[in-house]
Amino acid sequence: MPNDYIHIILADDDEDDRLFFSDAFDELNMNTKVNIFNDGVELMDYLNSEASILPNVLFLDLNMPKKSGIECLNEIKANSNMADIAIAIYSTSASEEDIEETFVLGANIYIKKPSSFKQLKKVLSEVVSMNWQYHTNGLNKDNFLMRL
Amino acid sequence: MIKQVFSRSALFLRIVFLVSVFLILVIGGFTYRHISNLTNSTKQVVSTYKVNVELEQVISYLKDAENGHRNYILTKDTSHLEPYLSAREKVNESFAELKEIASHSEAQEGNLKTLSKYIDALFKNFTQTNAFVENGLTLTEEFKSNFFEEKIIMDSIRQKINEMIALENKLLKERQKQYQSNLQFTPLFLYLLLLFTLVLIIISYNRISNDFKNIKLFNNQLSIFKEATIQLETIGKHGNWVWHLDTNTFVFSDNLYQVLGEKPGGFNPTLENLIAFVHPDDKQKFATEMDKMMKVEDLPFIYFRIIKRDGTVRYIKGYGKLLVNGDGDKRIIGNITDISDEIENYLQLEERNLELEKNNAELSEFNYVASHDLQEPLRKIQTFISRLEEKEAKNFSSSGLQYLERINVSATRMRLLIDDLLQFSRTNKPDKEFVLTNLNELLENAKQDVAETITDKEALIRNDELPILSVIPFQIHQLFLNLLSNSLKYSKKDVAPIIKIAYSKINSKDDENLMKVPKRNYHKILFSDNGIGFEQQYADQIFELFNRLHNKQEYSGTGVGLSICKKIVDNHDGFIMAHGEPQLGATFTIYLPE
Repeated sequence: MPNDYIHIILADDDEDDRLFFSDAFDELNMNTKVNIFNDGVELMDYLNSEASILPNVLFLDLNMPKKSGIECLNEIKANSNMADIAIAIYSTSASEEDIEETFVLGANIYIKKPSSFKQLKKVLSEVVSMNWQYHTNGLNKDNFLMRL
Repeated sequence: MIKQVFSRSALFLRIVFLVSVFLILVIGGFTYRHISNLTNSTKQVVSTYKVNVELEQVISYLKDAENGHRNYILTKDTSHLEPYLSAREKVNESFAELKEIASHSEAQEGNLKTLSKYIDALFKNFTQTNAFVENGLTLTEEFKSNFFEEKIIMDSIRQKINEMIALENKLLKERQKQYQSNLQFTPLFLYLLLLFTLVLIIISYNRISNDFKNIKLFNNQLSIFKEATIQLETIGKHGNWVWHLDTNTFVFSDNLYQVLGEKPGGFNPTLENLIAFVHPDDKQKFATEMDKMMKVEDLPFIYFRIIKRDGTVRYIKGYGKLLVNGDGDKRIIGNITDISDEIENYLQLEERNLELEKNNAELSEFNYVASHDLQEPLRKIQTFISRLEEKEAKNFSSSGLQYLERINVSATRMRLLIDDLLQFSRTNKPDKEFVLTNLNELLENAKQDVAETITDKEALIRNDELPILSVIPFQIHQLFLNLLSNSLKYSKKDVAPIIKIAYSKINSKDDENLMKVPKRNYHKILFSDNGIGFEQQYADQIFELFNRLHNKQEYSGTGVGLSICKKIVDNHDGFIMAHGEPQLGATFTIYLPE
């Protein structure tokens, strides 16, 4: 690992969710650096800029104005520079269609936003400390959706 | 079948006719021969008698001549010579006759010649004797010898004639004998032949009358069939047409005119007049299809529109097929049907389908709103509550904390409701794919889903080996899960739940629950528990949406789970039934068709 911290990015248009997200990492006290973007366009602008530091884990909301999470996922997967980014879908809904589509597009894990702060912290810490290499190799549709 | 019967019969009749004609010809031939034989034989008898008569006459003439001659010698009166002279002439006449009659036998002809010589000699002798008498030399030796010679010749003639008569009789007898053998069997043979012919003719008559009866019968059926066809045409708005290609003439059925909005026979049945009804936009297509019909044996249906005289447009479906009959006549036989009502219904249906699709789309939209937009604020409320409870608990009074708790319970319940509703609407989805699935796996997965509760409640689940069936996997999984959850939820507080899952294969006629169902094999899966059960009178109600038998403070639940179960089983064309006894337990029976 080039950095001594884990670089995390969240793209989410919902202000409350962004607040919960950053609060959770504040309380988790892990060695992380969190960057937050308000929508897909902002996220992709950042990722595509030369000065950007690519994240280790990208949390991607699906339902965003201007550019949806699915579009972002498509662009990232089409770009070989970004192949190493672990992508966690971070969505309110867990409809079969969304799970199926993002799995096929190559996302690494699907997280349904939990309804308690305690669970949120638990999920985020699990995801961040996950061995991605191991998870990606054994990835299948059954373990794609993160069980709470 | 009719055709076959008659062609066989026609062949039979033709053969019988030919045989009869032949036999009649044979009978005619034989009869002709027989009659000509009879005639011949009569002729021969007549000729024999004639010969004999003539011969007798010859001898009597000769006797006359001899007598006259002798009288002349005795009396020397020349008047006695008259019979002698006329005898000569008569003998000659008889001889001429005899020559003609006796020509049938060589022996007789020879005899006749000999006889003629004798007679010539006799008359020569007479003449000589007469000369002696005229000269008065009657007492000379020469005269005596001459006279004696006369007697000898006369004897020879008599003998010859007797001989000839005998021969003639013999010949007659021989021939009669020969004919007799020919004639003896002919009448019997002819009679038998005639009888046989008669039998043949009777058989033919029988056959013909039988055929006639059959034809009448078939005709009768045909006329019934024709009447039925006419009625069918009227009911179905059909019209029939026949196009005789050789003469380029058409025959239209009465109802064809009516389909076109005309009276039967209201216009000349020609192609031009038919095309005149076709909608201008479809004329080209119609003409092309008619052309094709002549070349190709079999065509798909053709569709076109017509405009009736009153201006209404009707949709027509047509079909035609080239038929060549046994005589090589080419005909296209076709039908048209007015399908405007069908099309109208179809259009209506399509419109309704579109409406339904729109409704469905709206429902999906609603699903999405429910799943996403409604959940989002709810989730945030819950998260904020959890934040409050964690971070701000010390700032609340005890009643404030209690309110917070009540808010949390309500929010949790709302979430449960939304989730269940989503689940329920998801079982409605049209993309149901049946996959051959091992139900044991689905049950195991369902057990996994409630593993925590099983552990908490120390529940015991015992199941039979389940079959492999063609099902919608996620739905059956949901069904098992809901039934397990149900049993776990409504367990007695102080008794560890025991859930038994039994499987058997049955036929609907053997099962009291399926008495009203058509005979069929079913897979029967029984979920029974030792929970709190329910009054049997509610057995049907519990499958209704939002129907609950207990208040929600006692048992959490939305009243959706069993409705989902019912829907899933319905989706599989199966049945689900509930049986409960308060404080003893509940049993849910599922029947899935084989």
